Amino acid sequence: MNVPTEHIYALAALLFAIGALGFLLRRNVIIVLASIELMLNAANLTFLGASRHWTQAQFASDSASILSGPIFSLFVILVAAAEAAVGLALIIALYRLKQTVALDAVAELKG
Amino acid sequence: MAETLFYLLGAGALACGVGVIAARMPIFSVLSLLGTFFCLSAIYLLSGFQFLAATQLLVYAGAIMVLFLFVIMLLNLGDASGLREQTGFSLVGKRATIAGATALTLALVGILGAGFGKEFRTNPAYVGGIDDLNALATVLFSRYALPFEAASLLLLATMVGVITLAKRQRASLPSPDAQLLAQKKEEAAA
Repeated sequence: MNVPTEHIYALAALLFAIGALGFLLRRNVIIVLASIELMLNAANLTFLGASRHWTQAQFASDSASILSGPIFSLFVILVAAAEAAVGLALIIALYRLKQTVALDAVAELKG
Repeated sequence: MAETLFYLLGAGALACGVGVIAARMPIFSVLSLLGTFFCLSAIYLLSGFQFLAATQLLVYAGAIMVLFLFVIMLLNLGDASGLREQTGFSLVGKRATIAGATALTLALVGILGAGFGKEFRTNPAYVGGIDDLNALATVLFSRYALPFEAASLLLLATMVGVITLAKRQRASLPSPDAQLLAQKKEEAAA
């Protein structure tokens, strides 16, 4: 695949922008969590695009630097899994407390 | 061939991404997210990251999505009046479904295309994929051994935290301090 790395970065940036928009605009906790996952995936795509770029450029000689990208995205996936588990547990706790998952109903900390 | 597939899959990922934030009902949002994951996985495969593509499918599509759907079904969110902003299937929801189905098809085509593609097999940089499993494991367990162990601690902490959060609260017994306080109040009242 001879796609320029800039296009991969552009795709990642667009995905991140969509995720950020959803995070800011939507009022449903589950959709907000899904937007966060979208942003994490965009970050993953950036890591892998960069790794692919350095592999093609033959810039990095040792495999450790080439493989930093995949390993970092592995850690991102791990953190995303942990975050999703905690977030969904929070949603269950919130639903038990308020019988809703709309963020507007949880505004006690608003000054 | 591979380039066209990349742009198609990228467009599919973006369409599904829009579906995630535009869907009225959370279930369509989550299904759109699944479509995005499939498209991204196929893009990883096209770029020569076989292991990451498999991990993306297993962890994201397999585990995280099931968790999302499980919570939606458990809380019966599809019918909660406080949640659904409109009755019935909305137009956006239908669009999200169509986008998801399109993305799934694209992803399957992409995976097939990547399987038959000779690009990264003939390119010396891609022999066995960029993230060849042997090389990945060697680096992960030597240079990144400490972060790896830290990650296991993070997972343990997450597990404990999630169980604490989601556990049904027991009928709260008054704490010893509260009992003492109540006794003093009674004495004062008497």
